[in-house]
Amino acid sequence: MRSSLVLVTALLCAASLPQCMRVTDGIEVDVAYQPEATPAQIRTDLGYRVSLDRALIALGQVELIRCDNFVADLLGLFRAARARAHALDTPTSLGEPLVLDLMEGAGTPEYAGTMKPPPGRYCGVRIVGMPADSDAAGLNEKTQEMTEHTVLIEGLVRADGDEVGAPLLVPIGELFERDLRFERPLLFEGPVVQNISIQIDHTSWFDGIDFALLSANAVRQRITENVRSSLQVALPNAEDGF
Amino acid sequence: MRERFAPNLRAVKGWWAIAALGAVMWIPTPASACGTCSVGDPTLTIVGFEQPKQNRIRTSATLRHRNDSIGDTQVDRLTLSEQRMELGGAYSPTDRVSLSLMMPVVHRLVTEVNLAEASIWAPGDLDLRVRGVVWRDRKFAPRHLVSLVGGLEFPTSSIEYDENGVPLPLEFQAGTSSWDPIAGASYTMFLDPWSMYVSSIAIFPTEGTAETRASTSFRQTLLAQFQPWSFLAFQVGAEFRFDGPGYIAGVRDPNTGGHITYGTLGIVGLPHDKIMIHATAALPLIQRLDGTHREGFAFTAGLVYEI
Repeated sequence: MRSSLVLVTALLCAASLPQCMRVTDGIEVDVAYQPEATPAQIRTDLGYRVSLDRALIALGQVELIRCDNFVADLLGLFRAARARAHALDTPTSLGEPLVLDLMEGAGTPEYAGTMKPPPGRYCGVRIVGMPADSDAAGLNEKTQEMTEHTVLIEGLVRADGDEVGAPLLVPIGELFERDLRFERPLLFEGPVVQNISIQIDHTSWFDGIDFALLSANAVRQRITENVRSSLQVALPNAEDGF
Repeated sequence: MRERFAPNLRAVKGWWAIAALGAVMWIPTPASACGTCSVGDPTLTIVGFEQPKQNRIRTSATLRHRNDSIGDTQVDRLTLSEQRMELGGAYSPTDRVSLSLMMPVVHRLVTEVNLAEASIWAPGDLDLRVRGVVWRDRKFAPRHLVSLVGGLEFPTSSIEYDENGVPLPLEFQAGTSSWDPIAGASYTMFLDPWSMYVSSIAIFPTEGTAETRASTSFRQTLLAQFQPWSFLAFQVGAEFRFDGPGYIAGVRDPNTGGHITYGTLGIVGLPHDKIMIHATAALPLIQRLDGTHREGFAFTAGLVYEI
């Protein structure tokens, strides 16, 4: 009988043990967008002066690209595509769309999210611009139109010596994709925190455009190209922050 | 007064024969191959399948190791390494009925694809079972036994959540946190020095916290034992498991359900008339589990002591 009591007591003690959980972080890649500060006037390489009232961009996805060969990369894409089918974010991509108002923030970084990739060698990121979802971060009354646009620009453009200028309204609805290479491959072998800064230089969006000669459609196409090429990636040190 | 093993020389041979039969029935099951509930009959080592002996009390300590994974490599893979210590006690009020109570303490190491780790210590689900012999060919040293098994797993474990407050997949919970009825039957045959048993156990989990419902699970055990010496026996067998789908927050977990077959090899030793030690290795031979779920090698070792 005494043995039975001891046994039952031991079992009950085991059942009443508190749970204990210890978590260790793994490989983490923090991603932030770093737009340039917006000047009062942007002077283009062709001498035009552009004053912006609105400059919005919607970015839909950021994905790490492995330094694998082409076939392996394709396989990786297929795997990632499957993963996206049931999750917005994957270990190598951020899927939550974000609307950036480039007129605000004065060039301060905007945190996009943290990826948790597997060990490996990564050579760059793929950025996708697309109209925002209705619940996208950064979407508000002022930016509501970005559910239909990838980029939206409003302002005034003046030729050299022209004080009146012409209104500028460029809504871009097309999706665009941009692959950016790191200055050096990122090699992840163990737990580490890496920062990635995606720089947006919208002061270059109007370069190479002769507003006096080009049609509105041609201007929009050229700006779309400039938006793509204005995205750059940098690898700041962890202590630099964003 | 309760009988002791080997009370005199004349009885030694007979007791060793009984002990041999007992060893056959103290067969350890392979380690748990399911993340939320043990595979087969985890109380088998302590209750055994031999004919119950009235007023017998046994205690046991069993260590189980297993590992499995879900998800795609390089994409979203989670791997699990589990060590489980089960403390148990069993009592036979008559020569036809045995009651057992088993409490697991579980350690789980969950590794995410980015090498982040979560180490979890938690109590598992308390397991109560009753086995009743419903048919035997004779009362003394029966060669054929048919038993029915009933039981209940108590919700003594806790649900683990991720950093966003979402319950972790069922595979990574220490238990189901639900009231889970158990039902089954077994048949045992003794042909000295060989013996064989077949059992079929079903577990029917009810809904746990966070709308979590573990898989309904059907487990079959087929095991043969050869005992060339009274103190040592060798075992070979197979464990079949068929799982239904599991649910988290009312949504089906795609990595639950399916079928797996384990091949098992084991050894049982009787170093003392009151002590039995056992070890079993289990290797998955056929895996047809749903989703991207893979299970790995499992190992069980333990000790049973008769009070």
